[in-house]
Amino acid sequence: DSTVGSSSDCKLCPCPAGATCAVVPRTKEVVCTNCPTGTTGKRCELCDDGFFGDPLGENGRVRTCRACSCNNNIDPNAVGNCNRETGECLKCIYNTAGVFCDRCKEGFYGDARAANVSDKCKACSCSPYGTVDKKTTCSQVTGQCQCLPHVINRDCSACEPGFYNLQSGKGCERCNCNSIGSTN
Amino acid sequence: PDPNISPLPPGSHILFAQSGRIEYIPLEGHNLKKNEAKTALHLPEKVVIGIAFDCMEKMVYWTDISTPAISRASLRGGEPVHIITSDLSSPEGIAIDHVGRNVFWTDSMKDRIEVASLDGSQRLVLINTDLVNPRAILTDPTNGYIYWADWNRDAPKIEMAYMDGTNRRILVKDDLSLPNGLTYDPQTSLLCWADAGTHKVECMNPQQGSRRQLMEGIQYPFGLTTDGKSLYYTDWTRRAVVVVDRHARQEVDEFQPQKQTRLYGITTAHAHCPSGQNYCSSN
Repeated sequence: DSTVGSSSDCKLCPCPAGATCAVVPRTKEVVCTNCPTGTTGKRCELCDDGFFGDPLGENGRVRTCRACSCNNNIDPNAVGNCNRETGECLKCIYNTAGVFCDRCKEGFYGDARAANVSDKCKACSCSPYGTVDKKTTCSQVTGQCQCLPHVINRDCSACEPGFYNLQSGKGCERCNCNSIGSTN
Repeated sequence: PDPNISPLPPGSHILFAQSGRIEYIPLEGHNLKKNEAKTALHLPEKVVIGIAFDCMEKMVYWTDISTPAISRASLRGGEPVHIITSDLSSPEGIAIDHVGRNVFWTDSMKDRIEVASLDGSQRLVLINTDLVNPRAILTDPTNGYIYWADWNRDAPKIEMAYMDGTNRRILVKDDLSLPNGLTYDPQTSLLCWADAGTHKVECMNPQQGSRRQLMEGIQYPFGLTTDGKSLYYTDWTRRAVVVVDRHARQEVDEFQPQKQTRLYGITTAHAHCPSGQNYCSSN
């Protein structure tokens, strides 16, 4: 405040080089007003939306702000794609999940990091008849659903040869065909 | 140096959000007084996305995805106050019905449109189906409508409904891509949108359905507002407020803030409220 009249009225801005600062009139709080590109916050300690890091090293070593890193599984038109400090991805798309959108979300399987969207995460689509407890989740990597006894296929949609009655929901039953009257 | 934080002087202004602050540019007639642009509110830890202005009490309302919260502050000088902090994920678009004294917002993670009284009470979910990435929202208080845009990459659309959420219908779904910005001029009944995918600004009369293109080849619009004559949009690529003359259909001015970062919501703070009444003002 340069109007008080003492030689120490003006103080150096507590901001990184190049930034200006201002005193908020009501609270007398000092805030930086022109933080370096990509940074924001009272002391330029935060990254802009869409970036993450710790530009002043407040929680460890200095990490300059860089763009959210989410395995190309975020939409550039979205806002708030990652946590501004940790970089944790908050808006994974293409049925991905995880801190860096690096795995498939529940009920999906495949390679979240695949280059093509069509190769990313596919729905488990487990057969409700052939799957234990009608679960809708599967192995995240292979996509194998957890099949009831004598049920086969990735999605538990068929009976083993020599078995029938998938629809029972209790696993498939042996055919019990008479070997004399059957073709094989 | 200039404290650069000040209450709004009298008159009309363009307000926009940029990385933790809300800036204003005074309007002189329909011209931007760019050298008088200042910061209206410093919110250094927040990520402000949508902003709206209540012409009755001269309050600015905004959505903040970092808290997340919906907040307001008087532009005559006053502390920011949260009005909603619970059950929000990614609140983005915000609009005021100055007649009914309600605030509407979109949440792109909860995938819904909600309403509350201006103090945050009487909160109600209006729409929670068939929404994927709802963003811009606006009100037509005189006729009791809300309009919103959803930039869902698989099926973008612009919709309308009554302010109670009933009578919902799709206005536009063809030749849309990323309709980020939406604005409505009550004088001419024109609804306009700015699309970051088609790179166009288009308008239509929602009642008549006639659609026409205003601009093409624009870069990356986010927010859109109008003062009746000009359209103003924030652009992520140009990091500027771009002014388009609606009749000449061309860009006529640009304001680039000193700070080089993305600009988000934009709104017109009219010195006076447009006249009008609606059902909600008496009920």
